[in-house]
Amino acid sequence: MIGNDIVDLALARKESNWQRKGFLDKIFTKKEQLQIVTAQNPENMVWNLWSRKEAVYKIYNRETGIRAFIPLELECFYESGTIGTILIKGKTYFTQTKIENYFIYTIACAEKEYFKQIKSIDIGTKINKRNGIPFVIDSNSKIEKTVSISHHGRFWKGIIIE
Amino acid sequence: MNKQEIIEELKAIVKPYIQNQEAFDTLTEETDFINDLKINSANLVDVILDIEEKYNIVIDNESMERMVNVKAAMTIIETQLSEKK
Repeated sequence: MIGNDIVDLALARKESNWQRKGFLDKIFTKKEQLQIVTAQNPENMVWNLWSRKEAVYKIYNRETGIRAFIPLELECFYESGTIGTILIKGKTYFTQTKIENYFIYTIACAEKEYFKQIKSIDIGTKINKRNGIPFVIDSNSKIEKTVSISHHGRFWKGIIIE
Repeated sequence: MNKQEIIEELKAIVKPYIQNQEAFDTLTEETDFINDLKINSANLVDVILDIEEKYNIVIDNESMERMVNVKAAMTIIETQLSEKK
């Protein structure tokens, strides 16, 4: 399974006031909050960690069929600005994050080896859905392949696992 | 406070965050905050904080997990309010 999540930083600033009282407490553990307040750019750290949680939640949701708002249970282990893992209910998932001027983008996998097999798809790709889970049908082999889609503001990203 | 009153108050709370007007106009107990109203998940935190402020209640993590649709939000509000009495 794979998951992705993109944050349009300009839109996030407009939509959310992360400094609102109680906001961080609802979605970040004490350890994550420390990571945020001590970061050089706390705002970017908020969206960096958030995109990791969202990308992993997509996998968790698809694997378990459970729908819930559980940001605090998705615990970030921050190795660097671009690499980390997330622990949820005893299971570890791997994340790779890209920080650009205008967006922060995370890809998550259930196994580290999957990163090598992930390719981008473009916005014109025909995407099917079953129970809300997106997939594409390979035109040659007719095999269904899992995809993950994320869209926020000016940005759209789709990934497929080969 | 009856169910209809809570629904109306909830509508006022979620209004600033919705991205699907049609689903908002036809909102029922079954309406899903994310799938139907297209509220982004970071804004779901604002909905939760707005509810806490409006009713002067605390939504614990366990309740927050269930907060994905109107029905769950109503149940949580009703339970919390009845405990306060």
